[in-house]
Order: sequence, then C-alpha cells, then structure tokens
Amino acid sequence: MSAGSTDTAVRTGRITRTALYLVLLLFALFYLLPFAIMVINSVKPLTEITGGNMMALPQDWTFDPWVKAWATAQIGVDPTGLKPYFWNSIKMVVPAVAISTILGALNGYVLTKWRFKYDTLIFGFMLFACFIPFQIVLIPMARILGLAGLAGSTPGLVLVHVVYGLGFTTLYFKNYYQVFPTELVRAAQIDGAGFFRIFWRLLLPSSGPIIVVSVIWQFTNIWNDFLFGASFADFDSQPMTVALNNLVQSSTGVKEYNVHFAGAILAALPTLLVYIVAGRYFVRGLMAGSVKG
Amino acid sequence: MATPAADADFKTKLQTWVPKLVLSPSLALMLVFVYGFILFSVYLSFTDSRILPSYGWVGFENYDKLFRLRHWDIAVNNLIVFAALYIIICSVIGLMLAIFLDQKIRGESVLRPIFLYPMALSFIVTGTAWKWFLDPGIGLEHTMHLWGWESFHFDWIKNRDYAIYTVVLAAVWQSSGFVMAMFLAGLRGIDNEMLKAAQMDGATNFQLYHRIIIPQLRPAFLSAFVILSHLAIKSYDLVVALTGGGPGRATEVPATFMYSYTFTRNQMGIGASSSVIMLMTIVAIMVPYLYSELREKN
Amino acid sequence: MSFLTIDNATKSYGSVEVLHRVDIDVQEGEFLVLVGPSGCGKSTLLNMIAGLEDITSGTISIKGKSMNGVHPSNRDIAMVFQSYALYPNMSVAKNITFGLEMHKVPKAERETALRDVAKLLQIEPLLDRKPGQLSGGQRQRVAMGRALVRNPDVFLFDEPLSNLDAKLRVDMRTEIKKLHQKLGTTIVYVTHDQIEAMTLSTRIAVMNGGFIQQLGTPKEIYDTPANLFVATFMGSPSMNLIPVKILEENGGLVAETTNGLGETIKLPFAAPPTGLKDYVGRTITLGLRAEALTDPDGADSKAVNLVTVKNRVIVMEPAGSDTFVMTEFGGQDCNARMRADVQVAPGEDVDFTINMDKVVAFDPETEDRIV
Repeated sequence: MSAGSTDTAVRTGRITRTALYLVLLLFALFYLLPFAIMVINSVKPLTEITGGNMMALPQDWTFDPWVKAWATAQIGVDPTGLKPYFWNSIKMVVPAVAISTILGALNGYVLTKWRFKYDTLIFGFMLFACFIPFQIVLIPMARILGLAGLAGSTPGLVLVHVVYGLGFTTLYFKNYYQVFPTELVRAAQIDGAGFFRIFWRLLLPSSGPIIVVSVIWQFTNIWNDFLFGASFADFDSQPMTVALNNLVQSSTGVKEYNVHFAGAILAALPTLLVYIVAGRYFVRGLMAGSVKG
Repeated sequence: MATPAADADFKTKLQTWVPKLVLSPSLALMLVFVYGFILFSVYLSFTDSRILPSYGWVGFENYDKLFRLRHWDIAVNNLIVFAALYIIICSVIGLMLAIFLDQKIRGESVLRPIFLYPMALSFIVTGTAWKWFLDPGIGLEHTMHLWGWESFHFDWIKNRDYAIYTVVLAAVWQSSGFVMAMFLAGLRGIDNEMLKAAQMDGATNFQLYHRIIIPQLRPAFLSAFVILSHLAIKSYDLVVALTGGGPGRATEVPATFMYSYTFTRNQMGIGASSSVIMLMTIVAIMVPYLYSELREKN
Repeated sequence: MSFLTIDNATKSYGSVEVLHRVDIDVQEGEFLVLVGPSGCGKSTLLNMIAGLEDITSGTISIKGKSMNGVHPSNRDIAMVFQSYALYPNMSVAKNITFGLEMHKVPKAERETALRDVAKLLQIEPLLDRKPGQLSGGQRQRVAMGRALVRNPDVFLFDEPLSNLDAKLRVDMRTEIKKLHQKLGTTIVYVTHDQIEAMTLSTRIAVMNGGFIQQLGTPKEIYDTPANLFVATFMGSPSMNLIPVKILEENGGLVAETTNGLGETIKLPFAAPPTGLKDYVGRTITLGLRAEALTDPDGADSKAVNLVTVKNRVIVMEPAGSDTFVMTEFGGQDCNARMRADVQVAPGEDVDFTINMDKVVAFDPETEDRIV
C-alpha cells in the first residue's frame, strides 16, 4: 500500500460521510457479534444460556466452562478436555511450519537467482499443488502413510502439511527474492562466495519480513486444518480442530454450549494471537496468496 | 545461467549442480505426493474399489453411477448455489467496504482488523459460532422473542430449502474481509494524480469509481474470483461444523460427498471419481489463471 | 601479447545470437569503453568477461590464459555495478573486505588493504555505516573501493554513473579518470552515454545490434566514424547528414546540394577520400559536425578549406557557451554551432561557413564511410 497518497482525490459531503461511517460500523458489528457472543456465553452457567438472552451479560460469572473445556470435557472416549489435543497440534504445527518455510526459502532462492531451463515450469507445477482439492489425494495418502508406518501419527501429519504447504512457501520466497537485486548475487559471486554462502550471508539476513509472512501463513493454515486431521490422525495425534468438532458434535448427554464456546475460543486463540501481534504480516500473507504478491 | 563449457573449473561445475540438487527434494515430494497421487486417484476411479483399493478395471462405471446418484446431484447443485452466492456477495461486500474505507475514514486502523479477523479462524470455530447463533431455539430467534419481537422467524439452518444459505452466510462472514483487503490494496495502488485529472475533467464521484477506478481493479477481481472459487470447491470443514451436511442431505457438497462415500460408505471407486470431477473443475479455473500469471512475469 | 583478449566471442540464447564474433584486444593499462544503445550487447559482453554469463563460442583470455569456464571469483577481476550492489546488511568495511574474506586473506592483511583503499577514496569516516545510510556518491565510492581492494588484473564497470544526478556524475567521472591515471589499471567500462565514453576512454568500442561497429580512439571515432550509426550515435548534437550529389569539376570533386532558400550550392572537396571518385554522378550522404558549420567569424582559424554559403535560420538555441542555429541543407535540418553572442534571428538569411577539412562521406546504401 502506498504511503504517500494521504490526500484522496475523492471528496465526500457531510451526509455521505455519515452514511459511510454508519455502514462501516454496522459491518464491524456484523463481524464482531458472533465471536463476541461466543465469548460472553462462555463465561455463563448453562442455565443462563438455555433459559436466557444470548446478548445479555452473565449474571453469574463462571470460568468453569473454560476449565472443563481445557481439562475434563468428554472428547472421544476419555474425559481429557482439549489439553492433550492442543499439544498434539503444537507438536504437528511447529516442525511442519519450520520445514516448509526452510524448503520454501531455498526453493525461492534457486528459482530466482539460479535460474535454469524449465524453472518456470517447475514453479508452475509447485504452485498448482497449492490449489488442488485435497480430496484427490486423500485415498493414496492414507495408503502411503499406512505403508510407511506413519498412519495416525504426528510425523505423518507433519509430512502431509509440509508437502501441501510447500507451494505457498515457495511462492512467497520466490516473489520476495524476485525483487532482491541480482547484481548483489553477482557481486558476491565475483567476490568468491558460493551458493550457500550467498544465501546465508546475503539473502537470509534481509528475509525477516517474508519469513514472518511464511511462518504466519503456514501456522494459521496448519493449525486451522480439519480435513487432514480428520482423515489421517488417531486419538493420540488428533489436532485441536478435530477434537473441537468431536466435542461440539458429540451426541451423548446434555449439550454444554458454554463448554463448546470455551473450547472454540481455545482452538481459535493461537491464530488470533498471531493475528493480533503480527496482523500486518498476516494481511501481506493473504495478499501474496493471490500469486502476484 | 545455461550449461557451462566442457572445460569449466570445478567450482563453476559445482555451482550449476548445487541449485538443482537443492530444489530436487521439493520437486520429488511434489511429483509423488501431488501428481503421483492424482494419477493414483484417477486410476482408482476406474476400479471396483470398495472399502480398500482394489484393481479390478470397471471403466466408466463409477462415473456412470456417480451421475445417476441423487445424492451427487444435490451436492453439485448446492455447490453451484453456494459458490455463486459466496463469490458474488463477498466481492460486493469486499468492494464496498474497501471503497468506503478508502475515504480517509477515521479509525480505519481499528476497522480494518475487525473486518479481517474472521479469516484467522478455523472454519470449525466459525461453524461452531454460527451454528448456535442461527439455532432458532437458542440463538438469534430465541433472543428476539425474549426482546418482545414474537413474530421474528429465522430458522433457515433447520430448513431444508434454506440451510445452504446459512452456509453462505457463515462463509461470507469469514472471507469478505479478506476480499476487502485485496480491493483496498488495489485502490491504494491507483495513481492519485490520475484521479485528480479525472476530476478536472468533470467526473463525479460515482463516475470516478464506475469509469476509472473499478475498471482498474480487474486484477484484484480476478484474484478474488480464483481464490474464492477454490475455497468454495474445497469447502469441507465449514459444512461439517455448521450443518454436518444436513438437515438430511440439504447442505451436502462434493467435498462432504467424497468423504462420506470413500470413508464411511465404503464406495471408494465412486469417492475417487467424485474427487476427479472436483479436480477437473479446479483445473479448468486455475490452469488458465496460473498460465497467464506466470507468462506475464517472464 | 595483449592483456585481455576477446577472440571471436559469440553469445546466443537458444537460437538467438545476441553477440556476433566480437574481437577486441585490450592492452595493459588501457581504458576501454563499450558504448551503444540499450540492447546492443555491451552489458552481455561485460558479463561474459566477468564470467557471469558463459561464452557460446570463441575465447576470452586474460594474461594469455583462457577464462572460458573459469568461475568469476577465480578470474582476478573486479566489477562495479550500476546499482553498486552493496550488501545491505553489511557495514561499508565488511562490504569492501568481503571478497578478501572469501579468498581467505588473513585478517591483518584485510585491515591494511581496507585502510589503504579507504584513504585513497576518502571514505574513512564511513567505514562503520551501512549502505542504506550513504548518499549516492558515497555508495559509488564504496563500490569502487570494493573493486580496488582486490587489486585485480582487470576492472569492469557496468554503467556505474547512471544512477547519479547530473552534477555528481561529472564529478565522479573526473574521479574515475584520476584513479585510472594514478593506478594505471586495465579497465573495461560499459556505458550508453557517449560523453562518458569520449571523456574517459583511451579506446572506444561502439556497439549496435550485437556487432562492434567501430573500435578506435575517441578522436578516430569522432572524426572518422566508420558508418552512419557511429556518426549519429557519437557526438552531441549528432552529426548533420546531408544528401549531396558528387560531381567532377575542374579535375576536383564537388558536392552539390541545395540550401534553405532553394538555391543550388556547390561544396568543393579539398582532399576527397580516394573511394569517392567511384561515386561521381551519384547521391551520397555527407556528414558534417555542428562545429564544422559555423558563422564566418566562428570558423576554425586553423582550417584550410572553408566555404561560405548563405542560408536561412530556422531556429536558434542559445546554450550559453555557444549558440546552436538550425538551418537546412538538401532538405535536411542541420545544426550549426555559432559563437555565443552571434546576432541572428529566425527567418533571417545569414552566412554559414563550412569547414570542408572535417566533412566525411557515407555510402547511402551500405551506410559505411567512403575511404
């Protein structure tokens, strides 16, 4: 976004401006409401929810639903709460994000600074992989994970997420390194630096922003994934999203809405946190998703 | 850099191979896990696989069955309705919010993240929130009744004919902010001096947007279309969390259809053929787009 | 034997040949400038000397040793880039010594070399800064420092001044020339600016369309351009080109054309090139520099063959040191360089003096100079 253009050429009158603000505020309400209500109702006792008004603030503040969602709620067969699944997600997300980002950085470096015949074609193949409907790989992936002894395991999920995130990370780094001056690489070559040294000493030190973009994008996507988790995980490797769905959809017993909400917020918390801390980069990541970056 | 001369020194030779070596693991992963798997799925769609892959060739039988299934018909129709509304509404809202935000709005830095944050959420979370919000017995309708608006009636999520629109609603809630951000970036990229020139020429605000600004957002429209359509076709999580495909089969989409035929109904051949149809739809949209994008760059 | 030899070098991308059979010998201490419009192949040739692009056929050798396939860092060359290509994350000192570090030069030696170069270029106070904190001229110096510190056999410059503003460019030009005179290094320098080429070089290679059009000293290039391309590309304002008919009169050769008043004028050649005899009765292109077309008082006093003709002033442009007056010969606009305070006005008919010592003749079909 260009910084210099503070003065807009478009002028608007008073009435129009009031209408503008009104519409914008209405939409802000639309976006905030569902989540806000979820937060409010997660600290209400169940009776207040089923009997009362969802917009009303709690009369009895209680954090029991949160504690229950985290530690004791019945998910699957055991009353473990979401806690173990939260750690499953962490154990899956961290290596998957790290590996796919490192590979993406190297790929982007090769594809922009060490070009060779058919490199655009190869990039095209990688990029296309971002957009395939994952349903097409579900059956063979289940087979391969089974054959490799990775079925239902966290390393299996890491592999899956690395493979299908690679296209995006490569795209990010390629777009970023594309505008990194090639003359610098040439100067370093004349100075006698080799492939890895140029990467390590020249490109990597100025890759901070794009590393953040890539990490945030991968983190959000992998954390929020449901399809792969639901398809390839076992009870001891299920990620947070799958556990949350099991919690919410469980048909046994009373529906404890407040616990569901607390669980949903718990599942959303890491990505929301990332978004609050590094929202700027998050937007950039989304933008770069539109290929051009 | 092309191939070096035959008498190249060791360092030069090494430097032409190292980059390719570095790229090769990623390329191998892609070839096996993406393109190899696609071929395998395509192959399975021509076999009599049921609960497990089996290799009895049945030709187009699975496709034949698939197209006769009412269940698949519903899923495809739902996807068409969902995708069309989702893309159109997201684009309209996104464009409107972007244009509004671009009027030197005070508090833009507060509003923008509010519009965008749903994108950071998992569809499962979105589904959980909306499922309950739309539940007539406890959500919006219930609240309106408590507030004294007894005739308020909003039970789409329980209604076979309308349930698919609730999926649209939740999906729009999640993605329209993202479209807004794309258009906003496009708007900010337009040369202000050109707009001033147009005003000198006597263009009104409406003409300015209609004739000059919006036509220049074509690339943003295209990107939004491609991304939204690909999200729509892949949509699985949201439907599972919001309606579970119900009531009945009212909100089944191809993604949920494929999953249930493959993994719960043990009709792997049909499941595979449905995934092939999904892939072909995406290919039809993505390949021309990627081709033009990559060609432009070189 | 020459220092840097480019022997029959060609470069192709796929089936497209972008550089055709280039032969250049550069002697030690020479300052060779490759000049030409963009896309003429000059940068490609420089990159081939550097080893940044490989050579399709032919050889490039330095000190008699073939450099084909030798890695850029092993060629004992240094290069100054158009964008300066300073490593943004390293200090000025690190930028300068990076190449030495890569070549495993001991730290103490690196320090000494750094001090020497910093002193030479007067950048000592900048050594701890990052490139982002430097002005354009300072970056330029650092980039040269990085090249100098290596003490290479050949320096390569790729349009090093094109990112500077006009005044700084002139200053740095002088600076580079001083450095060359002081250090006596061998330099190959690429530019599209013909003034840079003229002022800096000991020899110029004018390139166009992947061919060397002419290789010679600045004076040779300026006074006796090999063809119409060189004649028009080098020099500002560019050489006047007048269609004339060659006639034989009184045993000598005469060029016949018209002036802006519609009158026929005849310009006798003093010492016509021998080849011109074959063109009697045909139309050729006569080349005339602006300074060879003056007011009678402004004519070169050393010139032997001056012809004065009346002609009409179309436009006059005072340029401070000179006044450029546009007139017309043979239906072509021609620039005359007159004294600064000459009194002429548009529409007026005044005397123009042509210095026939300086005219050159071109074959209009082959576009080559008639010798």
